[in-house]
Order: sequence, then structure tokens, then C-alpha cells
Amino acid sequence: MPATDQQDTQRDPIPLRILDSATQGLNVLGSSLILVLMVLVGVDVAGRNLFGAPVSGVPEIVTLSIVAIVFLQIPQALRAGRMTQSDGLLKLLAARSTRMANALATLFDLIGIAVVWVIVKATWPIFSRAFERGEFIGAVGDFTAPVWPVKLTLIIGGAMLMAQFAARIWRRYWGAS
Amino acid sequence: MTPFEIGLISLVLMGLSVMVGLFVPIALMVCSYLGVWAIKGSPVLASKLLALAANDAISSYFFGVVPLFVLMGFIVSEAGFGRDAFDVANAMFRKLRGGLGIGTVGANAIFAAITGISIASAAVFTKIAVPQMMRHGYNPRFAVGVVAGSSVLGMMIPPSLLLILFGILAEQSIGDLFLAGVGPGLLLALFFALGILVMAVVAPGFVGDADRDGAEGALSVGQFAAKGLPIAGLIIVVLGGIYAGIFTPVEAGAMGAIGALVLGFAMGRLTLRGLWNVLVETGLVTATICFLIIAAQMYSRMLALSGVPAGMGSLAADAELGLWGVMLIYVAIVIAMGMILDSSSIMLILVPLMLPVVIPMQVDLIWFGIVTVLAVEIGLLTPPFGISVYVIKATLDDPNISLADIFKGAAPFALIMLVVLALVLAFPVIATGLIPGR
Repeated sequence: MPATDQQDTQRDPIPLRILDSATQGLNVLGSSLILVLMVLVGVDVAGRNLFGAPVSGVPEIVTLSIVAIVFLQIPQALRAGRMTQSDGLLKLLAARSTRMANALATLFDLIGIAVVWVIVKATWPIFSRAFERGEFIGAVGDFTAPVWPVKLTLIIGGAMLMAQFAARIWRRYWGAS
Repeated sequence: MTPFEIGLISLVLMGLSVMVGLFVPIALMVCSYLGVWAIKGSPVLASKLLALAANDAISSYFFGVVPLFVLMGFIVSEAGFGRDAFDVANAMFRKLRGGLGIGTVGANAIFAAITGISIASAAVFTKIAVPQMMRHGYNPRFAVGVVAGSSVLGMMIPPSLLLILFGILAEQSIGDLFLAGVGPGLLLALFFALGILVMAVVAPGFVGDADRDGAEGALSVGQFAAKGLPIAGLIIVVLGGIYAGIFTPVEAGAMGAIGALVLGFAMGRLTLRGLWNVLVETGLVTATICFLIIAAQMYSRMLALSGVPAGMGSLAADAELGLWGVMLIYVAIVIAMGMILDSSSIMLILVPLMLPVVIPMQVDLIWFGIVTVLAVEIGLLTPPFGISVYVIKATLDDPNISLADIFKGAAPFALIMLVVLALVLAFPVIATGLIPGR
């Protein structure tokens, strides 16, 4: 598999290669965040049980980062063909008429772009309000964390997801076969 | 149109679009959007509902359990603890007829106690158990069937990702759900083992000409301890920690992952590269599942607006189906959906619809969760969409064993699951007996 992947990437035009690298970059960020989460919770448990000193803010950080983890990695999940789908009928159709199957799959990708666009667009005001008012979670004096970076992650991840849907269409018709 | 009608139409639309192959989360999102738009008459309101769900549906400390338990499961597989579980179980059962088969079931039961994902079990034991069984003269079809069948133990015996999902959906204690999974999980393992024993005697043609080689697979006490103790330690940390109230489920997941990581590196079985692959894999699985959860939240908020769940509840009450009627219909629908959809999608779609129906009937939701997971897991083994079977096929990479072979081999195990499901339905105490105060 890695060999064909590489060929694909080599034949892709530069914008698509940049998109894939960026998607992978987000993926790396998200994966690192999971490791950070594990260590943080571990330190909190150790601090509380061994030294009687819990680390403040761990629940808040978990709360915020889980959303970031998901939206950082969902574009790569789509790229890797992991998004949940029941593709029996599409395969059946492809055996009879490639054109029909391609048209249907393209329609699905377009629907994906549309619905993610709706979400990203409606998240924008949520983000800008959080940014301007400096919204945070936690308790003042103990631990606080700003909320806007997570909202921004959602917007960036959503935009990348739309781009990956579009890339699927491009590859279907004009990509190397 | 009344909101109720709109809700029903969007349900049908969702079912159809999923069946023709639209991505499940996208289908849920589109139908929620259109549904809310039609009910409230405002596309702006509909898009706000979607955005709010995307922002807050999984924004809770509690959801940390998903990546952490998935991470633990993958580390444990990568570090070769599946092989240890197999060696230990094999040493225990090697003298029985069909011993390797029973050993595989036992290994799965042990492995299930340190991992929460069936797919991990299926992949690990395809590599370890199938070649060994075939070398010893087992029928290939039976060998893959055993692995497919026993892989479902991964989701039944705690920790279990599906039980966590149910806990999130129904707002039930994950600790209680884990406890409730123990009885049915062990019963399932026992029945699988008995089934293999019976098949080896009654239908030797199906099992194959299994030789009984008592000497091979024997372990000295030292070897037994070296292979068994690390796993036992992990089980004690994770499950013991939750039950003793030392850890929240989130913390138990993190401690399990840290424990597996430390053991893996200390025993020289994990490399940094291996760890990185595991992290990326964990990220993809987490993203896919949580994205699905977000979509399902949008959908259940739309349904709540339409009043369909409440309507279903009164419909079921008026029809005087009684608890048994409702449960039988529910189980039948779950198994049927298992033929086209994956486990988490089925739960996320059906559970929000069913809760308003069963809650007025004073159903124990923990028991309901166990029944749901058992029924959903039967779908892992039934064609055409049996995900365990596909994983085995992909991992095996052997052109001589077709998908149909694996499905046929797994069929007896799907039947045994049906029997255990019936038992849990008839005797809820199998599930709830271990929970204090019930």
C-alpha cells in the first residue's frame, strides 16, 4: 500500500500534494494531543494519590482538547477512507456502470461539502464572539483556558474536510488511474 | 405537515441515504438540517443547531474515555500481549479435544479484559491463532470462524467501546455497564468453548482433523507467570481501579494506556516507530467515532424537536405490545441493521429512538444496554456487512480462504450468540447480578 500511495502523491498536482501534507500535519498535531492528554491525566492521578496535590485544570483541558482532536483528524480519516459508510450498493453499481457509480459518489461528496459548509459558517460567529469577549472555561484564580482556539480548530478542520471532499471528486475524474 | 410527520420523513430519508452509500455522519447531519428547517421553517435556526452540536456535543471531560481506551487497546496489540494471552490460554486447554479452538476463545476472553475493540482482537488473533490451528490440521473455515466468533468478546467483556458509547447515549454509569458486561461475556466465552467441544465430537468434518498434541504449548510455571502477570496487572489497574473507585473511567483509560506503554517499552516490545503508528491509528478511530457521535447528537436533537421518540413511546404503549413484544421487535431490528451498518452507527441511530419507548416500561437501562450490545455484535458476524469478517479477510491475505468461507465458519458462533442473547433477555440477572444495589 505505501508504494501506491507514493505514486498517487507523485502524480497529483501541487495543490493536492500541499492539501495532503497539511491534512497530515493536522493529523500529527491531533495524535500528539492524545499523547499529551494521556500524560496529563496520568500526572493528575499520580499527584492526587501520591502527593495529595491534584493538577488543576486537567478536566478542563480534556474537555477542550477532545473536540480539537476530532476536528484535527477527521480530514485525514476521510482521506484514508475511514469515514463510516455502507458501500455495498456503490460497489454493486460500479460493477455495472462506472459512470453511474462515479456520479453517485460525486453527489455524496458534494452533499458532504455543503453540510460541512453550513456547520463552519454557523461556527464562525461562535468563534469570533469567543475571541472578542475572551470567553474561557475553568474558575478564575484557579485555572482558566480560552475557548477560541478550539472553535478555530473546528473551522480549520471543517475547511480541510471540505477540501478533502473536493479532492476526492478531482481524483475520481482527473486523477491518475 | 406536523413536526411528527416531518420527523418520520427525515428518518426514512436518513435510512435510504445510508443504504445507498452516503457517509453515515453526513447523512445524519443533512437529515437533521432539513428536518429542523422544515419543522421550524428557518434555515438559519437549523444551521445554528448543527453548529451548536458540533461545538458542544462532545465537549465534556467524559469523552476523554474514547481516545484513551482506544489507545490502550492498540498499544496492547502492538506490544504483543495478544500472543501472551494465546500462549497462556493454550497451555490451559491444550489437553481438550478442539483445544486450540478453545484456547483461542480463552485468549480472546483474556485479551478482551485489556482491550475494548473487537477489530483489534480480530486482527491480532487472525495472525496468531489461524496459522497455528491450520498447522495442526484444523479446517481453515473453522479456524477463521473461531477467530471471528470469539472476537466479539472484545466488546462484551469490559472495557468495551460499545458499552462506553451506550453509557454516553443513555447517561448511565460506565462502571455499572462494565460490571454488567462481565456475566454475559463469560457466559458467551463458556458457550463458545462448549460449542467447539460439541462440534469437535459431533461434526469432526467441519472442525477438521485436529490432532491433540499435549506436549506442544506446555508452559513452565515461570513462563506462565512471565506471560500472565503483565496482563493480570493491567486488568487489575484498569478494572480494579474503576470498581474500587480510585479512578474515573477517563483516568482508568489513561492509566491503562500508560501501564501498557511502560510494560511494552520495559519488555522491549515497543519501538518509538510502533508507538507513533499506534497514535495515528488511535487518532483516526477516535475522529471517526466522535464525528459519528456529533452527527448522532444533531439527529437526536432534531428528533426531539419533532416529537417522534415520544410518539413512538405512546405508540408502543397503545399497541400493548408489552415489554417482551417491544424487546423482540427491537432486537430483530438491531440484528437486521447489523447486516448493512457498523455497530456504533446502529447504536447511535437506534438508542435515542428507543429510550423514550423503554423508559416508561421501567426497564433497567443497564440491562437494556447489554442486550443492545449483544444484538449489535451479532451483526459483526452476519453477511453482507460483518466488519469482523472483513478485518479477518484483510489481515489473513490468503486467496484460498474466501469471505464466504469466513461467514460460514462464523455462523455457528452467531447462533450461539443468539442463544446467549435469549438467555440474557429471559434472565436479566446474568447482566445485573454483579451490580451492587440491584
